[in-house]
Amino acid sequence: MSVLTSPPELSDPPATRPMQPPARRQRSMFRQRLSRLDVKASPYLYIAPFFVLFALIGLFPLIYTFIVSLFDWHLLKGQGDFVGPGNFIAVLGDRFFWNSLFNTFSIFILSSVPQLVAAVAIAAILDQNIRGKTFWRMSILLPYIVTPVAVSLIFTNMFNEQYGLINNILGAIGLDPVMWKTETLPSHIAIATMVNWRWTGYNALILLAAMQAVPRDIHESAALDGAGAIRRFFTMTIPSIRPTMIFVIITATIGGLQIFTEPRLFDPVTAGGSARQFQTTVLYLWEMAFFRQDFGEASAIAWLLFLIIVAIAIVNFFISNRIASAEARVSARRTTRQLRRLHAFNGQQTDAAAPGSLEIDSLAVGAINASSIDASSLPGDSAPTNSRSITDEETGR
Amino acid sequence: MKLSRRTVTVTTIAGAAAFATIVSGCSATSGEAASADNPTELTVTTFGTFGYDDLYAEYEEANPGITIKATNIDTGGNARTDVFTKLAAGDGLSDVVAIEEGWLGAIMEVSDQFVDLNEYGAADVKDNWVPWKYEQGTDAEGRVIGYGTDIGPQGLCYNGKLFEAAGLPSDRDAVAELFGGDDATWETYFELGNQYKDATGKAWFDQSSFVWNSMVNQLDEGYYTADGELNVEGNPELEERWALINQGISDGLSAKQARWDWGGGKAFVDGSFATFVCPGWMLGTIKGSLESGGGDASTGWDFADVFPGGASNWGGAFLSVPTTSKHPEEAAALATWLTAPEQQVKQSAAAGNFPSTIEAQETLAAEATPNELFNGAPTGAILASRAEGVVAQFKGPDDSVIQENVFQAVLDRIEAGELNAQTGWDEAQKLIGELLG
Repeated sequence: MSVLTSPPELSDPPATRPMQPPARRQRSMFRQRLSRLDVKASPYLYIAPFFVLFALIGLFPLIYTFIVSLFDWHLLKGQGDFVGPGNFIAVLGDRFFWNSLFNTFSIFILSSVPQLVAAVAIAAILDQNIRGKTFWRMSILLPYIVTPVAVSLIFTNMFNEQYGLINNILGAIGLDPVMWKTETLPSHIAIATMVNWRWTGYNALILLAAMQAVPRDIHESAALDGAGAIRRFFTMTIPSIRPTMIFVIITATIGGLQIFTEPRLFDPVTAGGSARQFQTTVLYLWEMAFFRQDFGEASAIAWLLFLIIVAIAIVNFFISNRIASAEARVSARRTTRQLRRLHAFNGQQTDAAAPGSLEIDSLAVGAINASSIDASSLPGDSAPTNSRSITDEETGR
Repeated sequence: MKLSRRTVTVTTIAGAAAFATIVSGCSATSGEAASADNPTELTVTTFGTFGYDDLYAEYEEANPGITIKATNIDTGGNARTDVFTKLAAGDGLSDVVAIEEGWLGAIMEVSDQFVDLNEYGAADVKDNWVPWKYEQGTDAEGRVIGYGTDIGPQGLCYNGKLFEAAGLPSDRDAVAELFGGDDATWETYFELGNQYKDATGKAWFDQSSFVWNSMVNQLDEGYYTADGELNVEGNPELEERWALINQGISDGLSAKQARWDWGGGKAFVDGSFATFVCPGWMLGTIKGSLESGGGDASTGWDFADVFPGGASNWGGAFLSVPTTSKHPEEAAALATWLTAPEQQVKQSAAAGNFPSTIEAQETLAAEATPNELFNGAPTGAILASRAEGVVAQFKGPDDSVIQENVFQAVLDRIEAGELNAQTGWDEAQKLIGELLG
C-alpha cells in the first residue's frame, strides 16, 4: 500500500527532515489540538451569550422566585419564616386566584380566537395580487407600533361608561349604554378589543410570510384542476403554514396569559375592577406583591402561572398539530376512497366498454394526486351514480 | 414572573463592578457641600397637585450648584406603589420623597429606611408645625422621618349655580348655616341631598367613597384603634355611618362617577353633582379637573366653612429622605426649606392646599386671599377655620388597603347595584379577613 500511495522518502520522515526542531512539532500538535477544540467547543461558545443572558435574566429569577415563594416574605420588611408549600396552599385556596384565572382565560379566548381568525383572513387577502401591497402590509402593522399604554388610554376613554364614545354612539341610536367597566363580560370584551387591535396585524404579517413561502405552482396546478380559491385555501394554504400557525398560537397563548397593561389601565384606581371582574392573574400577582405586600404569595402565584402557561403551551402544541395533520389525514382518506371508487368504476367499465377506461383511470388518479379533488369533478358521466352506490355500501358496512 | 424579580439582587450580580464604581464615585463627592463648582442634582418625587414648581426654581437660584429634578405622580395611590416598589428594590427612590398620610402607617413599619431628620436639625424647626403633624412624622423610636407639608382639613365644596337652580341659598355663609354651621351633621347633609334631588332630579355628590372616607377620617379612631388594633367589625360608629351612606346611595344621591377621573373633569362642569367633600389639597384636584373638563370660575364652584359631622382631616403629606439618597444633607436641607412656613404659604397659593405649620396657617387666615376659581372664597382662611379641632387619627399599616381595596371597592359594587348595605358590609368584613390575612 505505502508503495502505491506515497513516495518512499515520505514514508521515512526523520531521514528527509532531520532538522525539524521538536518545539515546532509540539506547536503543530498544539495547533491540531486547538483546531479540534475549535470544532468541538466553538459552536457552544457562539451560542453561549444567549444562554448566559437567559441564565441571568430568565433562569435565575425563576429559581429565585421559587425560593421566595417558600418563605413568608414581606415586600418592605423582607424575608421571614420558612413556610414550605404554605404560600402555594394559600394561593390555591384563595377565591381571587381562581377568579383571576377565569378572567385571564376568558379574556385570552375572547382575544386569541377572533384575533387568529382575523389574522389568517387578512394574511390571505394580502397574499393575493392586490394594488399597493407594501402600503397595506405596513398599515396593518401600525397598531403594533403604538405602545400598549397609549392604546389602553385611548380605548379606556372610548369605553368610559358615562362619557365614552361608544356609549354615546349607542345612546344616539337609542340603545342602552353598556356597563363596560362594571360588568364582567363587557369588560372582558373591551380588554380583548385592545389586545386584538394591537396584535392582529402583527400575527397577520407573520402568517403572510408563511403563506408567501407556499410554492405558487401547486396553487396554479390546483387552480387548473378546478379547485376554487376557498378550497385551495383550506386544503393547501392552511396545512402548509402549520408550523407558523403553531408558533403564532403559542406566542399568543403566552402573551394572552400574561396580560397586564390593558386591565391595569382599564380602571387605573382599582386592580382589575371593584369586584375584580377583570382582574387577570398577573394583575392579581401585582396586587399581592405591591399592594398587599406579600411577596411570598406573589411568588407562588408567579410560579403557578408559569406552570399553567407551560401546560397550556404543550396542550396547544398537540392540538394545533392534530388540526393540521387531521387535514392531511382527511385528504389521504379521501384519496383512498376515490381510488376504490375508481377501481369499481373501471371494473364496470371494462365489461361495457374496454377501450378508454385505462385513459380515464390514469387521468383521474393524476388529478387526485395533484390536488385531492372530490368525486364530483371525476370524469365520466356515470361516475356520480356509481360513487353514490359505493358510498351507500360503505355506510352499510 | 417579570414582576417578582428582585432588582437589587440582579443588579448586584449583573454589574457588581459597575455598581461599585458608581458607589465609590458618588461617595467621593458627597463630603463636599454643593456649590457652583460642585454641582449636585437632587431628585424630588411628589404626587397630586403639590404646587412646588416655582419653589424649586427659587431654591435653585438661592443655592448655586443645586439642580432639582422633579417628578410628579398623578395620585397618592400611584405614588404609594412607586415608593413601595422602589423600597422593595432597594434602589430608585428620589432624594426627597413625598409620603401620604394614608400609607404613612406602612412606611412606619420600615422607618429605618428613611433618614432620621434629627441628624439634620429637626429639633430646631420642630415648633413650626402643629404638634400632631410633627408627631405623625416621628416613629416609635423618636426618629423623625418626615416633615409635614400640608394637612387636609375638610370643608364643603358646592356649586352655587346648581344650588340656586334648586332653590337653595348659594351665598357661602348662608350655605354654612343651611348645613347646620358648627353643628352640621351627616343626617342634614343627606336630607338636603334628597331635597336637591327632588327639585332637580340630579345627584348630590360625585360618588360615595370620598364621602365615606371623610366620615371615617373624622372619627377619633378609624379602621384601627389608637393602639393599632383592627377596629372595623362591631364598630357602632362605622356601622351607623355605613347605614347613612347606603341610604344616600339608594336614594340616588350618588352620581356614580369614576373617582380621580370624573369623565376627564367633565362631571365637574356639566352639573352631574352639586356638592363635593373638600380637604384642602382637593381644591387643587378640582382646579385640574375643571381645566381639563372645560370649566372655569363661571362653572359656579364655591367653598363653604362647614363640614357635616364636625372637623375632619383627610390626607396631608410629608417629605422624607430615604437612606438610599446619595446627598442626604442637601436633601434634608431642601425638605426643611420646602416645609418652612414661608414656603408653605406660597405652596398653598399655588396648589390651594392647607399648610401644616402654625405660622403659615395664621398667615393664610389673616390674608384671606380670595380664590378666583371658587367664586372668590377665601379658601385659605376657611381652611384655617376648618382646621380647628382637627386631630390626627392613627393610621395602621394596612389602612390604605382597607380604604381602597375593601370599602371603596364594596361601595362601587353597591353603587352598581351588585350589593346592598347588609351584603356589602358582610363582604367588607370578609375582604378584610382575606386581604389582611
